[in-house]
Amino acid sequence: MYRVRHTDLWPSHYNLGMWVWLAQRISGIVLVLYLFTHIWVISFSIANRQGQEFNQVMALFQTPLFLSLDLLLLAGVLFHALNGIRVILFDLGIGIRQQKAIFWGVLVIVSAIFAWGVSLWWPFVQGKPLV
Amino acid sequence: MQVVFKVQRYQPERDGQPYFQSFPLELPERATVLDGLHQIKDERDGSLSFRRSCRSAICGSCAMYINGAYHLACNTGVETLKAQEIVVSPLPHLRVIKDLIVDMQPFFEKFERALPYLMTTTPPPERERLQSPEQRRAFEEMINCIQCAACYSACPMVWTDPQYLGPAALTKVYRFVSDSRDEVGRQRLALVDNDHGVWRCHTIFNCHIACPKNINPTWSIQQLKRKTIARRLRFWERG
Ligand code: HEM
Ligand code: FES
Repeated sequence: MYRVRHTDLWPSHYNLGMWVWLAQRISGIVLVLYLFTHIWVISFSIANRQGQEFNQVMALFQTPLFLSLDLLLLAGVLFHALNGIRVILFDLGIGIRQQKAIFWGVLVIVSAIFAWGVSLWWPFVQGKPLV
Repeated sequence: MQVVFKVQRYQPERDGQPYFQSFPLELPERATVLDGLHQIKDERDGSLSFRRSCRSAICGSCAMYINGAYHLACNTGVETLKAQEIVVSPLPHLRVIKDLIVDMQPFFEKFERALPYLMTTTPPPERERLQSPEQRRAFEEMINCIQCAACYSACPMVWTDPQYLGPAALTKVYRFVSDSRDEVGRQRLALVDNDHGVWRCHTIFNCHIACPKNINPTWSIQQLKRKTIARRLRFWERG
C-alpha cells in the first residue's frame, strides 16, 4: 500500500461541522487532562496540614500567566458544554437542518457568558477579588 | 475556455505513489469536468481511467473530489468552479484501483447489509399496496440517493471504523423505516442499534455537504437514533 496525501484533510477544505466536531473532541480531551492535573495539584498542595504549600500554590495561581490560563479554561468549558447541548439536541432529532445557525447561536451564548466571566475575573487581576 | 486539468494518476503495477499530471485544455463554454476528462482520454492519453455511465447525474458512477469538494464530474460545469486549475482526485479514503477509479466493494457490501428493499409480513393484497401522497413524501429526500459514495468517502467515522455502515446505507434504512408499506421496521432498527450503526455518527455533517443530490444523511441517522431509543423504551414510541 502507498500513502496518499488526501487533500480533503487540508484544514482549508474542512466544513463548519468538521471544525466544530474537532473542537468538541479537542476541548473534551483538554478538559480531561486539566481535571486530572487539577486533582493532582490540589492533593499534593494540601498533603501538608500546615497549609504552607497550599498558600504557595494559590499565590502561583494569582500570577498573570495562570490568571490568563483561567480564561482559556473558561472558554473551553463553555464551548464544550454548550456545543455538547447542541450535539445532544441533534441526537434527539432537534435542529439538525439548522446546524449552522445553532452553532452561531452557541457561539453567541458562549461569548455572552464568557464576557460575564471576564467581568468576575478582572478583580483578581487587579488583586482585589470580590470575596 | 482555457484551463489546466491536474488529474491524479496511479497505476498500482507501475507506480509506487499516486501523482498529479497536468493537461492544459481548450474546452467549449459550459463543458463539464467529465467533458474535460473525456477530452484528455480521447485526444491526449487513452490510458486515463475513470468511471462514468449516464452522464446525467443519475447513475452515481462519477463522484470525485474536485477542487476541494465532492462533485459528480458529469454535472459540474468547469466554469462554475471559477478556477484556472481544476484538480481532480478520486474519492478520498477509498482504495484506488487505477487513476480515478476506487474500490466500491466495501460501500456496496454495507449497502446490502442495510437490506435495501421493501419487506412485508402480510400476504399481498388484491392489487398494489397503496400509499397516500403524504405517506410518500416521508422519504421524498432519501429516495434521491444514487449510491455515488461521496458521503461515505467524506465521513471521518467511516475512515476510522471499517465496520461502520456509513451515511448512505443508514439513510437507506431510514428510507424503509419511514415507508408506510414496509412491515419490518423494528427489525431494521435492531440492525442499526449498535456501535457500527447509528451510534457511530457524531453529527459532523460532512456527508450532507458532500452529497451532490443535497440529501442530508445526518438528519436520517438522527431520526433512526430517536426511533432505536423509542424501540427500547416502548412507551416513547411515536410510530
Ligand atoms: C455540561 C457539561 C458537558 C456537556 C453538555 C458535554 C457534552 C458532550 C457531548 C455531547 C459529547 C459528544 C460529542 C460527540 O458526539 O462528538 C462530549 C464529548 C466529550 N466530552 Fe463532554 N460535555 C460536558 C463536560 C465535559 C467535561 C467536564 C469533560 C472532561 C472532564 C468532558 C470530556 C469529554 C470528552 C473527552 C469527550 C469525547 C470527545 C468526542 O467524543 O469527540 N466533557 N461531551
Ligand atoms: S456519469 Fe452517471 S452520475 Fe455522473
